Amino acid sequence: MDKIVEIKNVTKVYGKSNEKQTQALNGISFSVEKGEFIGIMGASGSGKSTLLNILSTLDKPTSGTIHINQADVTKLKGNQLADFRAKEIGFIFQDFNLLENLTAQENIAVPLSLQGVKPKDIKKKVNAVAERLSISHILDSYPAKISGGQKQRVAAARALVTQPTILLGDEPTGALDSKSAKDLLDTMEELNTKDNVSILLVTHDAFSASYCQRILFIKDGVIHQEVKRGEQSRSDFYRQILTILGNLEQ
Amino acid sequence: MLWKLSLTGIKSRLRDYIVLFSGLVMASAIFYMFESMASNTDFLNNNSTLAMTVFIFRFGSVLLGIITFVYILYANSFLMTMRQKDYAMFMMLGAKGRKIAQMIFSETLIVGTVATLVGSALGIGLTSVVHRLLVAQLNIKITHFTPFNMNGLLITLLFFIVLFLLAAFVNAFSIVKKPILTLLRADQTPAQMKQHKFLFFLEVVLGIIFIGVGYYMMANIGTYQLMAIAVALVTIVLGTYFIFHSVIIFFLKLLKKTENLSMKKLNNFTLSQLSFRIREYTQMLSMVAMLLALALGALTVGLGFKNQITQLTNEVSNYDLVLNQSELIDQSKVEKLSPTINAVYQQKEDEKTVYYNYSEFEQNPFLIMENQTPNTGERNVKTKKVTAEELATNSNYQDELRYYELPEQREKEIKLLPAEEFAQLNLPQTSMQLIQAKDFHESIEQIGDLVAENNKNNESLKDGMFSFTQKYDAYQMINGMFSGFEFMGFFLGIAFLTMLASCLMFKILSGSKSDVVRYEMLGKIGARQALLKQSIRREIGILFLAPGILGAIHVLFGLQMFTVLMDDPYHNLWIPFTIFFVLYFIYYVVTTWLYTGIVLNKKE
Repeated sequence: MDKIVEIKNVTKVYGKSNEKQTQALNGISFSVEKGEFIGIMGASGSGKSTLLNILSTLDKPTSGTIHINQADVTKLKGNQLADFRAKEIGFIFQDFNLLENLTAQENIAVPLSLQGVKPKDIKKKVNAVAERLSISHILDSYPAKISGGQKQRVAAARALVTQPTILLGDEPTGALDSKSAKDLLDTMEELNTKDNVSILLVTHDAFSASYCQRILFIKDGVIHQEVKRGEQSRSDFYRQILTILGNLEQ
Repeated sequence: MLWKLSLTGIKSRLRDYIVLFSGLVMASAIFYMFESMASNTDFLNNNSTLAMTVFIFRFGSVLLGIITFVYILYANSFLMTMRQKDYAMFMMLGAKGRKIAQMIFSETLIVGTVATLVGSALGIGLTSVVHRLLVAQLNIKITHFTPFNMNGLLITLLFFIVLFLLAAFVNAFSIVKKPILTLLRADQTPAQMKQHKFLFFLEVVLGIIFIGVGYYMMANIGTYQLMAIAVALVTIVLGTYFIFHSVIIFFLKLLKKTENLSMKKLNNFTLSQLSFRIREYTQMLSMVAMLLALALGALTVGLGFKNQITQLTNEVSNYDLVLNQSELIDQSKVEKLSPTINAVYQQKEDEKTVYYNYSEFEQNPFLIMENQTPNTGERNVKTKKVTAEELATNSNYQDELRYYELPEQREKEIKLLPAEEFAQLNLPQTSMQLIQAKDFHESIEQIGDLVAENNKNNESLKDGMFSFTQKYDAYQMINGMFSGFEFMGFFLGIAFLTMLASCLMFKILSGSKSDVVRYEMLGKIGARQALLKQSIRREIGILFLAPGILGAIHVLFGLQMFTVLMDDPYHNLWIPFTIFFVLYFIYYVVTTWLYTGIVLNKKE
């Protein structure tokens, strides 16, 4: 299988050399295969947010390499970084991060406009992804007029419309009620199995994590444990995750 | 402890505070500069022949007061957006509302008072600099002007401290009254777009009609008199408001619908930002447009008076210098003027008649001013060469010549005699010399000296009474009269402009906090920094440009009112417009720079 993300010996130290330093990541290595649905779990302060920021090229590691779609992102700078983000990475955030002065449709279109896609093609692509996520009926609404679940679907559509190499989710269900959360996760699972979208989900919610095929547990800046769902049912996997989390805390 | 926290809060946002503080300092400096003149009645009375001037200045200081008030409101809201999260945090941590109110109150008052004191000191300095600059640059005459004026200083201090007291009360109350959660989430409240289609259409139509009526009234001020000003003022204010509320949004919508444009890069985002902004800024932008019009108008009219000086002077006489008994004058001094016309006419006179040599007028034809269109009221004065024959026979032309003679000669008849006959007259001979210098304004000092010498040489001119015989005297008088106007126009214009541009700047800056998230998000999606900066430049550019253009159009039409006072208010229009737009542009650049700093201050 193709490795679309490969992280080797990544460390991240906060604070300058003459100040008090904090080691957030401590030589972490792992890879993501194409079409994988992978979860990253860990307590607050375990380093999972740092890892996500580095993966999404918003932050740089102190040492180590990160390859996404064969490109070494630690070597990219300025505009290259921005362009890389626009093309290769799709984001879904906990608080939706939609632009509230643009309609849903316009929000979804922003990444395409940034890439210089022709207006005609933009429309086509937006409509296609909106249909895929069942939000065609709210395309003309402003974010303030739609529900949290719908907002997150719009955000997902915006992340997917450029057909990125990987979809990064940062607690995407964190601000949703349980029904909307389940809907969104079902959709993500479907995107993964049917459309072969690679997804990396950062969460501390065991239920969300149970949708993943593989979960990495981070503690003190290193991978503490790795589990695979394999053939077990989601509820069994869910229980397994809870047990591991319980042990992790001790 | 809270005080310490509060001070660290200020330190961490030092740059924003410096902006706010310098803005307030400038406001009080300008206010002082204006008041130092407005409250100096000696200065006003001595520099203008009109009794209206004192009133005009009172009116000006009321206007300036209102603008300053609005300005302080915006600067204050900028201060509050910077601080309210900190304060809410303190309250969440358990600080008592009363204590917080006290802190806000003192912070506002301290910032305000210090700014006012520094501003007044700066104002005194600036006043003397500006005064010197204007006097030197514009060759205007001003008397009784002192940079330090006790009345002005007192008025400034009082006015500002009262304003800041008010602001301090408002701030203290508003923070304590608002729920903590609202304060903490102040940035996140989204603005909503709601618009009724029919009302929208009505606004578009009304906006255009109102402005049209206003312009029509200004153009026909001669017919409607004071009514015109009153009607124009109301209709233009309303029209401007509606235009911003509807027409501009209409255009933005149109641009958004043009997909080839809106779907490119961040255009759609920029346009949406603008449509939201403009709605929220309607009052602000209409006020800015109106007052910019006043500022630009004052500047233009002020400079217009300057043009008027040259024009009126030129219409006084064709000759820059008249020398009676010119044989007494050292001709080398005349040569220094590099004269383009230098006509010497011999005179012989008896008790009843002044005789001239006919052939001399053939050689140097006499020049007169002729008003070509006396009936329309418009002045159209042209120079006409009068032949010796015409002068000999036409008594009107002779009157023109008589005008340059000495007072005692003017009673007498004029006769032009052939050269031989003139030579045979056994009468005392003298000469009158009429000179046109190469450049009147450049040789103004030499001309002044010669005029003085001429007055000394001729007994009947010694009392130095103003007579329009000498262009120099006329220039002095007209210059004195219009300089006051010019100075005021200039000063008011620049003062208004800086004040308003600062208002706009603070209004835009106080909205910047809520944009931080948006730009951060766009960065995450993969928008290049350069693109984000471009979007900011465009957005702020339009917020500056829209009232700027509307204001400029108001001025272009508004100048119609001055056709009654001036020959051509549109003459050399590019000068005030350039000064204006250069200053305005500087404000735009500073605002963009600050805004970018606030919104995109993150790494990368």
